[in-house]
Amino acid sequence: MHIAVCLCQVPDTASVVSFFEGAIDLSRVNGVMNPFDEYALEEAVRIKERFEGSQVTLFCIAPSSAKDMLRKALAMGGDRAFLLSATEPSDPFQTACMLSRAITDYYGEALPDLVFCGKHSTDFQSAQVPLMLAELLGMESVSAIIKLEASHSGIHVEREIEGGIESLELHYPALFSVEKGLNVPRKTTIKAVMEARKKPVDLLPITISESAFVTITSIKPFVKERKCRFLHDPKELVLLLTHEEALF
Amino acid sequence: MNAMNTVLVFLEQREGVVKKSSIDIWNRVQELAALRPGTAVSALLAGPASSRQLDGSLGGNGVVYHANEAAFKLYNPEHYTRLVVETMKKVAATALFFADTALSRDLAPRLSVRLKASLLTGCAVDDVWGADGGGCCQRAVYSGAAIASFAPTRPLKIYTCTSRPTRSSSAITSGAQASVVVLEPSSRTREELFPLVRRMVMHAGVRDVAEARIIVAGGRGMGSAGSFGLLEELARLLGGAVGASRAVVDEGWRPHAEQIGQTGKTVAPALYLACAISGAPQHLAGIGSAGIVVAINCDPHAPIFDIADYALVGDVHLLLPKLIEEFQEFLKKR
Repeated sequence: MHIAVCLCQVPDTASVVSFFEGAIDLSRVNGVMNPFDEYALEEAVRIKERFEGSQVTLFCIAPSSAKDMLRKALAMGGDRAFLLSATEPSDPFQTACMLSRAITDYYGEALPDLVFCGKHSTDFQSAQVPLMLAELLGMESVSAIIKLEASHSGIHVEREIEGGIESLELHYPALFSVEKGLNVPRKTTIKAVMEARKKPVDLLPITISESAFVTITSIKPFVKERKCRFLHDPKELVLLLTHEEALF
Repeated sequence: MNAMNTVLVFLEQREGVVKKSSIDIWNRVQELAALRPGTAVSALLAGPASSRQLDGSLGGNGVVYHANEAAFKLYNPEHYTRLVVETMKKVAATALFFADTALSRDLAPRLSVRLKASLLTGCAVDDVWGADGGGCCQRAVYSGAAIASFAPTRPLKIYTCTSRPTRSSSAITSGAQASVVVLEPSSRTREELFPLVRRMVMHAGVRDVAEARIIVAGGRGMGSAGSFGLLEELARLLGGAVGASRAVVDEGWRPHAEQIGQTGKTVAPALYLACAISGAPQHLAGIGSAGIVVAINCDPHAPIFDIADYALVGDVHLLLPKLIEEFQEFLKKR
Protein backbone atom coordinates (compact mmCIF):
# COMPACT_ATOMS: atom_id res chain seq x y z
CA MET A 1 0.00 0.00 0.00
CA HIS A 2 1.27 3.49 -0.85
CA ILE A 3 0.68 5.90 1.98
CA ALA A 4 1.41 9.64 1.93
CA VAL A 5 1.57 11.70 5.11
CA CYS A 6 1.51 15.50 5.10
CA LEU A 7 3.50 17.23 7.80
CA CYS A 8 4.03 20.77 8.94
CA GLN A 9 5.95 22.54 11.65
CA VAL A 10 4.34 24.68 14.36
CA PRO A 11 5.63 26.60 17.37
CA ASP A 12 6.19 24.36 20.39
CA THR A 13 3.32 25.00 22.82
CA ALA A 14 5.82 26.05 25.48
CA SER A 15 7.35 28.71 23.22
CA VAL A 16 6.66 32.38 23.61
CA VAL A 17 5.10 34.15 20.67
CA SER A 18 6.00 37.78 21.26
CA PHE A 19 5.68 41.10 19.50
CA PHE A 20 8.38 43.56 18.60
CA GLU A 21 7.43 47.07 17.49
CA GLY A 22 3.96 45.89 16.59
CA ALA A 23 5.08 42.97 14.46
CA ILE A 24 4.91 39.33 15.47
CA ASP A 25 8.28 37.95 16.54
CA LEU A 26 8.76 34.21 16.14
CA SER A 27 12.53 34.29 16.64
CA ARG A 28 12.31 32.77 20.11
CA VAL A 29 9.94 30.08 18.99
CA ASN A 30 11.01 26.46 18.84
CA GLY A 31 9.52 24.59 15.88
CA VAL A 32 8.08 21.10 16.39
CA MET A 33 5.99 18.66 14.41
CA ASN A 34 2.34 19.69 14.49
CA PRO A 35 0.87 17.48 17.27
CA PHE A 36 -2.05 16.31 15.09
CA ASP A 37 0.43 15.24 12.38
CA GLU A 38 1.96 12.81 14.87
CA TYR A 39 -1.35 10.97 15.09
CA ALA A 40 -1.57 11.00 11.28
CA LEU A 41 1.94 9.57 10.92
CA GLU A 42 1.39 6.95 13.63
CA GLU A 43 -1.75 5.69 11.87
CA ALA A 44 0.09 5.50 8.55
CA VAL A 45 2.90 3.48 10.14
CA ARG A 46 0.45 1.10 11.82
CA ILE A 47 -1.20 0.39 8.46
CA LYS A 48 2.21 -0.11 6.86
CA GLU A 49 3.02 -2.69 9.52
CA ARG A 50 -0.19 -4.57 8.78
CA PHE A 51 -0.03 -4.56 4.99
CA GLU A 52 3.19 -6.04 3.71
CA GLY A 53 5.13 -4.09 1.10
CA SER A 54 3.69 -0.74 2.14
CA GLN A 55 5.62 2.50 1.81
CA VAL A 56 5.10 5.61 3.91
CA THR A 57 6.23 8.80 2.18
CA LEU A 58 6.33 12.11 4.01
CA PHE A 59 5.53 15.45 2.37
CA CYS A 60 6.59 18.27 4.55
CA ILE A 61 5.95 21.99 4.27
CA ALA A 62 8.46 23.66 6.55
CA PRO A 63 11.62 25.74 6.40
CA SER A 64 14.80 23.85 5.50
CA SER A 65 15.76 24.06 9.17
CA ALA A 66 13.03 21.50 9.86
CA LYS A 67 15.40 18.57 9.25
CA ASP A 68 15.19 17.58 12.93
CA MET A 69 11.49 17.21 12.66
CA LEU A 70 11.87 15.08 9.55
CA ARG A 71 14.41 12.84 11.29
CA LYS A 72 11.90 12.26 14.04
CA ALA A 73 9.18 11.49 11.51
CA LEU A 74 11.45 9.01 9.77
CA ALA A 75 12.37 7.44 13.11
CA MET A 76 8.66 7.01 13.83
CA GLY A 77 8.43 4.87 10.69
CA GLY A 78 8.35 7.03 7.56
CA ASP A 79 10.37 5.50 4.70
CA ARG A 80 11.42 8.63 2.89
CA ALA A 81 10.76 12.34 3.20
CA PHE A 82 10.34 15.26 0.88
CA LEU A 83 10.79 18.80 2.03
CA LEU A 84 8.70 20.94 -0.27
CA SER A 85 10.69 23.96 -1.22
CA ALA A 86 8.97 26.88 -2.83
CA THR A 87 7.92 30.33 -1.94
CA GLU A 88 6.13 30.03 1.35
CA PRO A 89 2.42 29.35 0.82
CA SER A 90 0.34 32.20 2.20
CA ASP A 91 -2.98 30.48 2.80
CA PRO A 92 -4.54 27.01 3.11
CA PHE A 93 -5.46 26.90 -0.57
CA GLN A 94 -1.88 27.53 -1.72
CA THR A 95 -0.65 24.98 0.81
CA ALA A 96 -3.10 22.40 -0.54
CA CYS A 97 -2.01 23.22 -4.12
CA MET A 98 1.64 22.63 -3.20
CA LEU A 99 0.89 19.31 -1.54
CA SER A 100 -1.33 18.23 -4.41
CA ARG A 101 1.40 18.99 -6.92
CA ALA A 102 4.05 17.21 -4.87
CA ILE A 103 1.90 14.11 -4.45
CA THR A 104 0.95 13.91 -8.13
CA ASP A 105 4.59 14.55 -9.15
CA TYR A 106 5.77 11.67 -6.98
CA TYR A 107 3.02 9.10 -7.53
CA GLY A 108 2.09 10.06 -11.09
CA GLU A 109 -1.34 9.10 -12.42
CA ALA A 110 -1.83 6.42 -9.77
CA LEU A 111 -2.63 8.25 -6.59
CA PRO A 112 -1.43 6.92 -3.25
CA ASP A 113 -3.90 4.50 -1.64
CA LEU A 114 -4.07 6.58 1.51
CA VAL A 115 -3.22 10.14 2.50
CA PHE A 116 -3.08 11.20 6.13
CA CYS A 117 -3.02 14.74 7.54
CA GLY A 118 -3.44 16.21 11.00
CA LYS A 119 -6.87 17.67 11.75
CA HIS A 120 -5.41 21.17 11.79
CA SER A 121 -2.16 22.93 12.55
CA THR A 122 -2.10 24.22 16.10
CA ASP A 123 -0.83 27.68 15.09
CA PHE A 124 -3.56 28.85 12.70
CA GLN A 125 -6.19 26.16 13.27
CA SER A 126 -7.92 26.73 9.95
CA ALA A 127 -8.49 22.99 9.36
CA GLN A 128 -8.86 23.60 5.63
CA VAL A 129 -5.79 22.09 3.98
CA PRO A 130 -6.66 18.35 4.26
CA LEU A 131 -10.08 18.57 2.60
CA MET A 132 -8.92 21.09 0.01
CA LEU A 133 -6.15 18.65 -0.85
CA ALA A 134 -8.69 15.82 -1.16
CA GLU A 135 -10.75 17.92 -3.55
CA LEU A 136 -7.69 18.84 -5.64
CA LEU A 137 -6.61 15.18 -5.82
CA GLY A 138 -10.17 14.00 -6.46
CA MET A 139 -10.11 11.65 -3.48
CA GLU A 140 -12.79 10.56 -1.05
CA SER A 141 -12.10 12.04 2.35
CA VAL A 142 -13.27 12.28 5.94
CA SER A 143 -12.13 14.88 8.46
CA ALA A 144 -11.19 14.51 12.12
CA ILE A 145 -11.40 10.73 12.39
CA ILE A 146 -11.12 9.02 15.77
CA LYS A 147 -11.21 5.39 14.60
CA LEU A 148 -10.01 3.59 11.49
CA GLU A 149 -10.29 0.00 10.28
CA ALA A 150 -8.62 -0.75 6.95
CA SER A 151 -9.18 -3.91 4.94
CA HIS A 152 -8.14 -4.81 1.39
CA SER A 153 -11.52 -3.79 0.00
CA GLY A 154 -12.26 -0.59 1.89
CA ILE A 155 -11.99 1.52 4.99
CA HIS A 156 -14.33 2.07 7.89
CA VAL A 157 -13.85 5.21 9.99
CA GLU A 158 -15.59 7.06 12.77
CA ARG A 159 -15.63 10.73 13.60
CA GLU A 160 -17.13 12.83 16.34
CA ILE A 161 -20.14 14.97 15.61
CA GLU A 162 -21.93 17.22 18.12
CA GLY A 163 -23.36 14.85 20.71
CA GLY A 164 -22.52 11.62 18.91
CA ILE A 165 -20.44 9.61 16.49
CA GLU A 166 -20.76 9.18 12.74
CA SER A 167 -19.48 6.01 11.14
CA LEU A 168 -18.51 6.05 7.49
CA GLU A 169 -17.35 3.74 4.74
CA LEU A 170 -14.89 4.56 1.97
CA HIS A 171 -12.98 3.07 -0.94
CA TYR A 172 -9.35 3.49 -1.84
CA PRO A 173 -7.84 5.95 -2.54
CA ALA A 174 -8.90 8.04 0.43
CA LEU A 175 -7.66 10.95 2.47
CA PHE A 176 -8.15 11.39 6.20
CA SER A 177 -7.54 14.21 8.61
CA VAL A 178 -6.86 12.87 12.05
CA GLU A 179 -8.20 13.89 15.45
CA LYS A 180 -6.50 13.34 18.78
CA GLY A 181 -7.56 10.02 20.27
CA LEU A 182 -7.16 7.96 17.09
CA ASN A 183 -3.99 6.39 18.49
CA VAL A 184 -1.10 6.98 20.84
CA PRO A 185 2.00 7.96 18.83
CA ARG A 186 5.02 5.79 19.56
CA LYS A 187 8.16 6.98 21.24
CA THR A 188 11.17 6.70 18.99
CA THR A 189 13.91 4.29 20.04
CA ILE A 190 17.63 4.98 19.65
CA LYS A 191 17.80 2.20 17.09
CA ALA A 192 15.01 3.79 15.06
CA VAL A 193 16.72 7.17 15.24
CA MET A 194 19.98 5.64 13.96
CA GLU A 195 18.18 3.90 11.12
CA ALA A 196 16.36 7.11 10.22
CA ARG A 197 19.70 8.73 9.43
CA LYS A 198 20.06 6.40 6.46
CA LYS A 199 16.63 7.20 5.06
CA PRO A 200 16.46 9.66 2.16
CA VAL A 201 15.41 13.26 2.71
CA ASP A 202 15.06 15.20 -0.52
CA LEU A 203 14.18 18.72 -1.44
CA LEU A 204 11.28 18.84 -3.84
CA PRO A 205 11.07 22.15 -5.67
CA ILE A 206 7.44 23.05 -6.29
CA THR A 207 6.15 26.10 -8.07
CA ILE A 208 2.56 27.13 -7.82
CA SER A 209 0.76 29.70 -9.90
CA GLU A 210 -2.52 29.77 -7.96
CA SER A 211 -3.32 32.94 -6.02
CA ALA A 212 -4.30 32.80 -2.39
CA PHE A 213 -8.01 32.77 -1.49
CA VAL A 214 -7.38 34.49 1.83
CA THR A 215 -4.84 37.04 3.06
CA ILE A 216 -3.90 37.91 6.60
CA THR A 217 -4.18 41.67 6.95
CA SER A 218 -2.91 41.97 10.51
CA ILE A 219 -1.66 39.99 13.49
CA LYS A 220 -1.96 41.80 16.80
CA PRO A 221 -1.16 40.77 20.33
CA PHE A 222 -4.11 39.49 22.31
CA VAL A 223 -4.95 42.03 24.99
CA LYS A 224 -6.64 40.80 28.12
CA GLU A 225 -9.55 43.07 28.86
CA ARG A 226 -11.27 41.34 31.71
CA LYS A 227 -11.04 42.60 35.21
CA CYS A 228 -11.57 39.86 37.70
CA ARG A 229 -13.78 40.43 40.71
CA PHE A 230 -12.89 38.26 43.69
CA LEU A 231 -15.98 37.14 45.63
CA HIS A 232 -16.49 36.00 49.20
CA ASP A 233 -18.66 32.95 48.82
CA PRO A 234 -20.84 30.90 46.43
CA LYS A 235 -23.94 32.79 47.62
CA GLU A 236 -22.57 36.06 46.27
CA LEU A 237 -21.65 34.36 42.96
CA VAL A 238 -25.13 32.93 42.46
CA LEU A 239 -26.67 36.32 43.23
CA LEU A 240 -24.45 38.03 40.68
CA LEU A 241 -25.02 35.45 37.95
CA THR A 242 -28.76 35.33 38.44
CA HIS A 243 -29.44 39.04 39.00
CA GLU A 244 -26.69 41.31 37.72
CA GLU A 245 -25.79 39.10 34.74
CA ALA A 246 -29.34 37.75 34.40
CA LEU A 247 -28.10 34.44 33.06
CA PHE A 248 -30.92 32.40 34.54
CA MET B 1 -31.20 39.58 -13.92
CA ASN B 2 -31.13 39.57 -10.21
CA ALA B 3 -30.82 43.10 -8.87
CA MET B 4 -30.78 41.89 -5.29
CA ASN B 5 -27.57 40.71 -3.74
CA THR B 6 -28.33 37.25 -2.38
CA VAL B 7 -26.51 35.45 0.39
CA LEU B 8 -27.24 31.91 1.45
CA VAL B 9 -27.30 30.42 4.95
CA PHE B 10 -26.90 26.67 5.20
CA LEU B 11 -29.40 25.16 7.62
CA GLU B 12 -28.17 21.89 9.05
CA GLN B 13 -30.64 19.26 10.19
CA ARG B 14 -29.94 16.32 12.43
CA GLU B 15 -32.60 13.62 12.59
CA GLY B 16 -35.11 15.97 10.98
CA VAL B 17 -34.57 18.86 13.38
CA VAL B 18 -32.83 22.02 12.19
CA LYS B 19 -29.85 22.61 14.44
CA LYS B 20 -30.07 25.54 16.77
CA SER B 21 -26.56 26.67 15.92
CA SER B 22 -27.54 27.21 12.29
CA ILE B 23 -30.79 28.98 13.26
CA ASP B 24 -28.70 31.33 15.43
CA ILE B 25 -26.53 32.16 12.40
CA TRP B 26 -29.62 32.61 10.20
CA ASN B 27 -31.12 35.02 12.72
CA ARG B 28 -27.99 37.13 13.00
CA VAL B 29 -27.42 37.28 9.23
CA GLN B 30 -31.07 38.33 8.80
CA GLU B 31 -30.82 41.01 11.49
CA LEU B 32 -27.70 42.51 9.96
CA ALA B 33 -29.12 42.30 6.43
CA ALA B 34 -31.86 44.71 7.51
CA LEU B 35 -29.11 47.36 7.50
CA ARG B 36 -28.09 46.45 3.95
CA PRO B 37 -30.79 47.47 1.48
CA GLY B 38 -30.98 45.27 -1.57
CA THR B 39 -29.79 42.18 0.20
CA ALA B 40 -31.82 38.99 0.30
CA VAL B 41 -30.94 36.28 2.78
CA SER B 42 -32.02 32.85 1.66
CA ALA B 43 -31.37 29.47 3.14
CA LEU B 44 -30.59 25.98 1.96
CA LEU B 45 -31.86 23.12 4.06
CA ALA B 46 -30.59 19.67 3.14
CA GLY B 47 -32.64 16.66 4.20
CA PRO B 48 -36.16 16.00 5.48
CA ALA B 49 -37.11 18.26 8.39
CA SER B 50 -40.08 18.69 10.67
CA SER B 51 -42.73 20.84 9.00
CA ARG B 52 -43.58 22.41 12.35
CA GLN B 53 -40.15 23.99 12.42
CA LEU B 54 -40.37 25.20 8.82
CA ASP B 55 -43.92 26.50 8.66
CA GLY B 56 -43.79 30.05 9.84
CA SER B 57 -40.98 29.73 12.35
CA LEU B 58 -38.18 31.04 10.15
CA GLY B 59 -38.51 34.79 9.83
CA GLY B 60 -36.70 36.71 7.16
CA ASN B 61 -36.84 38.30 3.76
CA GLY B 62 -35.64 35.42 1.62
CA VAL B 63 -36.54 31.93 0.55
CA VAL B 64 -35.79 28.67 2.31
CA TYR B 65 -34.77 26.21 -0.40
CA HIS B 66 -35.54 22.80 0.97
CA ALA B 67 -33.94 19.70 -0.56
CA ASN B 68 -36.11 17.24 1.31
CA GLU B 69 -35.00 14.07 -0.43
CA ALA B 70 -34.16 11.09 1.74
CA ALA B 71 -30.70 11.05 0.16
CA PHE B 72 -29.83 14.16 2.19
CA LYS B 73 -31.04 12.75 5.51
CA LEU B 74 -27.52 11.76 6.52
CA TYR B 75 -24.50 13.83 5.61
CA ASN B 76 -22.90 12.71 2.37
CA PRO B 77 -19.95 14.93 1.43
CA GLU B 78 -20.31 14.55 -2.33
CA HIS B 79 -24.10 14.82 -2.51
CA TYR B 80 -24.01 17.83 -0.20
CA THR B 81 -21.21 19.50 -2.18
CA ARG B 82 -23.14 19.14 -5.43
CA LEU B 83 -26.35 20.40 -3.85
CA VAL B 84 -24.69 23.52 -2.43
CA VAL B 85 -22.86 24.29 -5.68
CA GLU B 86 -26.08 23.97 -7.70
CA THR B 87 -28.07 26.11 -5.28
CA MET B 88 -25.38 28.81 -5.07
CA LYS B 89 -25.52 29.06 -8.88
CA LYS B 90 -29.32 28.93 -9.01
CA VAL B 91 -29.74 31.89 -6.66
CA ALA B 92 -26.54 33.67 -7.79
CA ALA B 93 -25.41 33.93 -4.18
CA THR B 94 -22.28 35.91 -3.35
CA ALA B 95 -21.75 34.51 0.13
CA LEU B 96 -22.51 31.31 2.01
CA PHE B 97 -22.79 31.11 5.79
CA PHE B 98 -22.43 27.97 7.89
CA ALA B 99 -22.58 27.42 11.61
CA ASP B 100 -19.17 26.12 12.68
CA THR B 101 -19.94 22.40 13.15
CA ALA B 102 -18.39 19.01 12.45
CA LEU B 103 -20.38 18.95 9.21
CA SER B 104 -19.37 22.39 7.95
CA ARG B 105 -15.73 21.82 8.86
CA ASP B 106 -15.85 18.78 6.56
CA LEU B 107 -17.89 20.33 3.76
CA ALA B 108 -16.68 23.93 3.49
CA PRO B 109 -13.06 23.35 2.36
CA ARG B 110 -14.25 21.13 -0.51
CA LEU B 111 -16.78 23.79 -1.52
CA SER B 112 -14.13 26.48 -1.34
CA VAL B 113 -12.01 24.71 -3.95
CA ARG B 114 -14.92 23.69 -6.17
CA LEU B 115 -16.46 27.17 -6.16
CA LYS B 116 -13.09 28.99 -6.08
CA ALA B 117 -14.43 30.85 -3.07
CA SER B 118 -12.55 32.38 -0.15
CA LEU B 119 -13.16 30.36 2.98
CA LEU B 120 -12.98 32.04 6.38
CA THR B 121 -13.38 29.66 9.31
CA GLY B 122 -14.33 30.42 12.90
CA CYS B 123 -15.77 33.88 12.17
CA ALA B 124 -18.14 36.04 14.17
CA VAL B 125 -21.08 36.97 11.91
CA ASP B 126 -20.81 40.61 13.00
CA ASP B 127 -17.15 40.83 11.91
CA VAL B 128 -17.65 39.52 8.40
CA TRP B 129 -21.17 40.70 7.69
CA GLY B 130 -21.87 43.60 10.05
CA ALA B 131 -21.86 47.19 8.78
CA ASP B 132 -18.78 48.03 10.87
CA GLY B 133 -17.12 44.65 10.63
CA GLY B 134 -14.96 45.44 7.62
CA GLY B 135 -15.54 41.99 6.14
CA CYS B 136 -12.54 40.44 7.87
CA CYS B 137 -12.57 37.45 10.16
CA GLN B 138 -10.87 38.13 13.50
CA ARG B 139 -9.67 34.96 15.15
CA ALA B 140 -7.18 33.87 17.79
CA VAL B 141 -3.98 32.29 16.47
CA TYR B 142 -0.79 30.95 18.09
CA SER B 143 -2.64 29.42 21.06
CA GLY B 144 -4.43 32.65 21.82
CA ALA B 145 -1.26 34.78 21.97
CA ALA B 146 -2.37 36.81 18.97
CA ILE B 147 -5.45 37.87 17.04
CA ALA B 148 -5.22 37.65 13.27
CA SER B 149 -7.43 39.34 10.76
CA PHE B 150 -8.24 37.26 7.66
CA ALA B 151 -9.52 38.96 4.50
CA PRO B 152 -11.15 37.22 1.52
CA THR B 153 -9.68 37.81 -1.95
CA ARG B 154 -12.33 36.09 -4.07
CA PRO B 155 -15.70 37.50 -5.15
CA LEU B 156 -17.42 34.43 -3.68
CA LYS B 157 -17.10 33.95 0.06
CA ILE B 158 -17.80 31.10 2.46
CA TYR B 159 -17.93 31.69 6.20
CA THR B 160 -18.17 29.18 9.02
CA CYS B 161 -19.39 31.12 12.03
CA THR B 162 -19.43 30.63 15.73
CA SER B 163 -22.10 32.27 17.81
CA ARG B 164 -22.80 32.31 21.48
CA PRO B 165 -25.67 29.90 22.07
CA THR B 166 -28.85 31.81 22.88
CA ARG B 167 -31.47 30.83 25.40
CA SER B 168 -34.43 30.80 23.03
CA SER B 169 -34.68 27.99 20.55
CA SER B 170 -36.92 29.75 18.09
CA ALA B 171 -36.04 31.82 15.08
CA ILE B 172 -37.06 35.43 14.57
CA THR B 173 -40.83 35.49 14.57
CA SER B 174 -41.47 39.16 13.97
CA GLY B 175 -41.60 40.58 10.48
CA ALA B 176 -41.94 38.66 7.26
CA GLN B 177 -41.83 34.89 7.11
CA ALA B 178 -39.38 33.27 4.77
CA SER B 179 -41.22 31.28 2.13
CA VAL B 180 -40.30 27.66 1.62
CA VAL B 181 -39.51 26.31 -1.82
CA VAL B 182 -39.02 22.58 -2.14
CA LEU B 183 -36.22 21.81 -4.59
CA GLU B 184 -36.90 19.35 -7.39
CA PRO B 185 -35.37 15.97 -6.64
CA SER B 186 -32.34 15.30 -8.76
CA SER B 187 -31.85 11.91 -10.41
CA ARG B 188 -28.19 12.09 -9.44
CA THR B 189 -28.89 11.70 -5.76
CA ARG B 190 -29.78 8.07 -6.51
CA GLU B 191 -26.12 7.42 -7.19
CA GLU B 192 -24.35 5.82 -4.28
CA LEU B 193 -21.45 8.14 -3.58
CA PHE B 194 -18.68 7.54 -1.07
CA PRO B 195 -17.80 8.26 1.69
CA LEU B 196 -21.07 6.93 2.90
CA VAL B 197 -22.36 7.57 6.39
CA ARG B 198 -23.56 4.17 7.53
CA ARG B 199 -24.98 5.27 10.83
CA MET B 200 -25.02 7.90 13.52
CA VAL B 201 -24.86 6.96 17.15
CA MET B 202 -25.95 9.70 19.51
CA HIS B 203 -24.90 9.75 23.15
CA ALA B 204 -28.21 9.66 24.97
CA GLY B 205 -28.98 12.53 27.29
CA VAL B 206 -25.63 14.25 26.94
CA ARG B 207 -25.41 17.82 25.78
CA ASP B 208 -22.39 18.44 23.60
CA VAL B 209 -19.86 20.83 25.02
CA ALA B 210 -19.52 22.67 21.69
CA GLU B 211 -23.22 23.58 21.70
CA ALA B 212 -23.84 24.23 25.38
CA ARG B 213 -24.93 27.62 26.66
CA ILE B 214 -23.39 26.82 30.02
CA ILE B 215 -20.19 24.84 30.51
CA VAL B 216 -18.91 23.52 33.83
CA ALA B 217 -15.31 22.53 33.21
CA GLY B 218 -12.80 20.80 35.45
CA GLY B 219 -9.03 20.68 35.53
CA ARG B 220 -6.37 18.49 37.08
CA GLY B 221 -7.06 20.08 40.44
CA MET B 222 -10.32 18.12 40.62
CA GLY B 223 -8.05 15.33 41.80
CA SER B 224 -9.85 12.29 40.41
CA ALA B 225 -12.36 11.07 37.86
CA GLY B 226 -14.84 10.59 40.69
CA SER B 227 -14.96 14.24 41.69
CA PHE B 228 -16.35 15.12 38.26
CA GLY B 229 -19.64 13.89 39.69
CA LEU B 230 -19.94 17.32 41.31
CA LEU B 231 -19.48 19.02 37.95
CA GLU B 232 -22.00 16.69 36.32
CA GLU B 233 -24.50 17.52 39.03
CA LEU B 234 -24.00 21.26 38.59
CA ALA B 235 -24.14 21.00 34.78
CA ARG B 236 -27.38 19.01 34.97
CA LEU B 237 -28.87 21.54 37.37
CA LEU B 238 -28.04 24.47 35.07
CA GLY B 239 -28.86 22.69 31.81
CA GLY B 240 -25.24 22.81 30.74
CA ALA B 241 -22.45 20.46 29.72
CA VAL B 242 -19.27 19.23 31.36
CA GLY B 243 -15.94 20.25 29.86
CA ALA B 244 -12.38 19.22 30.68
CA SER B 245 -8.83 20.45 30.39
CA ARG B 246 -6.19 18.53 28.49
CA ALA B 247 -4.56 17.18 31.65
CA VAL B 248 -7.86 15.63 32.70
CA VAL B 249 -8.34 13.93 29.32
CA ASP B 250 -4.73 12.71 29.31
CA GLU B 251 -5.33 11.20 32.77
CA GLY B 252 -8.27 9.34 31.28
CA TRP B 253 -10.76 10.93 33.70
CA ARG B 254 -12.92 12.33 30.91
CA PRO B 255 -13.36 11.55 27.15
CA HIS B 256 -11.59 13.62 24.51
CA ALA B 257 -14.97 14.83 23.19
CA GLU B 258 -15.14 17.06 26.28
CA GLN B 259 -11.67 18.56 25.95
CA ILE B 260 -11.53 22.33 25.58
CA GLY B 261 -8.50 24.18 24.27
CA GLN B 262 -5.86 24.02 21.61
CA THR B 263 -6.04 20.28 20.98
CA GLY B 264 -9.70 20.13 21.95
CA LYS B 265 -12.74 22.22 21.19
CA THR B 266 -13.19 25.95 20.88
CA VAL B 267 -16.33 26.96 22.73
CA ALA B 268 -18.44 30.10 23.09
CA PRO B 269 -20.85 29.55 26.00
CA ALA B 270 -22.72 32.34 27.73
CA LEU B 271 -21.25 31.12 31.04
CA TYR B 272 -17.97 29.26 31.52
CA LEU B 273 -17.27 27.89 34.98
CA ALA B 274 -13.63 26.85 35.27
CA CYS B 275 -13.15 24.60 38.30
CA ALA B 276 -9.60 23.80 39.43
CA ILE B 277 -8.26 24.81 36.02
CA SER B 278 -5.03 26.76 36.29
CA GLY B 279 -5.45 28.37 32.87
CA ALA B 280 -2.57 27.34 30.61
CA PRO B 281 -2.47 29.37 27.36
CA GLN B 282 -3.49 26.23 25.44
CA HIS B 283 -6.67 26.01 27.48
CA LEU B 284 -7.45 29.72 27.29
CA ALA B 285 -7.15 29.47 23.49
CA GLY B 286 -10.39 27.50 23.51
CA ILE B 287 -12.51 29.91 25.56
CA GLY B 288 -11.67 33.28 24.03
CA SER B 289 -15.27 33.83 22.90
CA ALA B 290 -16.94 32.79 26.15
CA GLY B 291 -19.35 35.24 27.75
CA ILE B 292 -19.01 35.33 31.52
CA VAL B 293 -16.03 33.39 32.88
CA VAL B 294 -16.08 32.25 36.50
CA ALA B 295 -12.95 30.68 37.97
CA ILE B 296 -12.75 28.58 41.11
CA ASN B 297 -9.20 27.77 42.13
CA CYS B 298 -7.22 27.38 45.33
CA ASP B 299 -4.23 29.29 43.94
CA PRO B 300 -5.00 33.04 43.97
CA HIS B 301 -2.23 33.63 41.40
CA ALA B 302 -3.51 31.10 38.85
CA PRO B 303 -3.46 32.57 35.30
CA ILE B 304 -7.14 31.67 34.88
CA PHE B 305 -7.99 34.68 37.05
CA ASP B 306 -6.40 36.98 34.44
CA ILE B 307 -9.20 36.21 32.01
CA ALA B 308 -12.04 35.56 34.49
CA ASP B 309 -14.87 37.94 35.37
CA TYR B 310 -15.62 36.45 38.77
CA ALA B 311 -13.43 34.42 41.05
CA LEU B 312 -13.74 32.25 44.11
CA VAL B 313 -10.48 31.31 45.79
CA GLY B 314 -10.63 28.03 47.64
CA ASP B 315 -10.97 24.28 47.49
CA VAL B 316 -13.40 23.18 44.78
CA HIS B 317 -14.44 20.19 46.87
CA LEU B 318 -15.78 22.53 49.52
CA LEU B 319 -17.04 25.33 47.28
CA LEU B 320 -18.85 23.28 44.65
CA PRO B 321 -21.35 21.58 46.99
CA LYS B 322 -22.19 25.02 48.41
CA LEU B 323 -22.55 26.47 44.93
CA ILE B 324 -24.88 23.60 43.93
CA GLU B 325 -26.93 24.23 47.06
CA GLU B 326 -27.23 27.96 46.34
CA PHE B 327 -28.32 27.33 42.75
CA GLN B 328 -30.89 24.78 43.97
CA GLU B 329 -32.26 27.39 46.39
CA PHE B 330 -32.51 29.95 43.62
CA LEU B 331 -34.16 27.60 41.14
CA LYS B 332 -36.66 26.43 43.76
CA LYS B 333 -37.74 29.97 44.55
CA ARG B 334 -38.12 30.95 40.91
